[in-house]
Amino acid sequence: MIKSVLLISRQAPWAGLGAAEALDIALAAGAFDLPLSILFMDDGVLQLLDKQQPQTLEQKDLSANLQALPLFGIEQLYVAQHCLAQRGLDHRTLAVAAEVLDDSQIQQLIRQYDYVMTL
Amino acid sequence: MTTLHILNASPVHASQLNSCLRVLSVEDAVVLCGEAVQALRIGSEAAKQLQACDRAYRLYALEEDVCARAIDLADLPVTLLDYPAFVALCVEYARVNSWT
Repeated sequence: MIKSVLLISRQAPWAGLGAAEALDIALAAGAFDLPLSILFMDDGVLQLLDKQQPQTLEQKDLSANLQALPLFGIEQLYVAQHCLAQRGLDHRTLAVAAEVLDDSQIQQLIRQYDYVMTL
Repeated sequence: MTTLHILNASPVHASQLNSCLRVLSVEDAVVLCGEAVQALRIGSEAAKQLQACDRAYRLYALEEDVCARAIDLADLPVTLLDYPAFVALCVEYARVNSWT
């Protein structure tokens, strides 16, 4: 039986490899038709910002990987409301559409998946 | 369908504890290991956060990490674990969320 995975991505795109690796895992899972969703939490919500210029830090641009998620069958993206609020962000300005969830909705979300991975 | 949440980072430097307590479900469990056991220190802000959580959860900590750090335990219903007990817990819960 195929198991479902919730990937919780908590790292900023400029703060090491965690953000990029989470997206790689998601794309790989999608390529093998594994049911996977991503929840962006904590500094991970910063991955969704529009108009980033990672090349100024000589880092890879992750926005192409994010845009590719639907092509790989990863349709469901979630973002934690309190993490957006803490950082002064509005979900309407994000580069990628993600469903905004409050704490109790995230509690329910986690219970719906067979596996949870946090990066 | 409960979840075992494993925390390993200092509650002062990392947002693991904060975020975990927000998304913890009733009946879930939290295991503190490594520097995360600092959250058990009596009088610490993290210990107060653990005490203030409004959902019923089980709290565990790795005994050797607690002993190594000379932690005076706060008044919390914590169960101390050795490694075999830790492994048994991981098997017992429906899913394991290892916060990094």
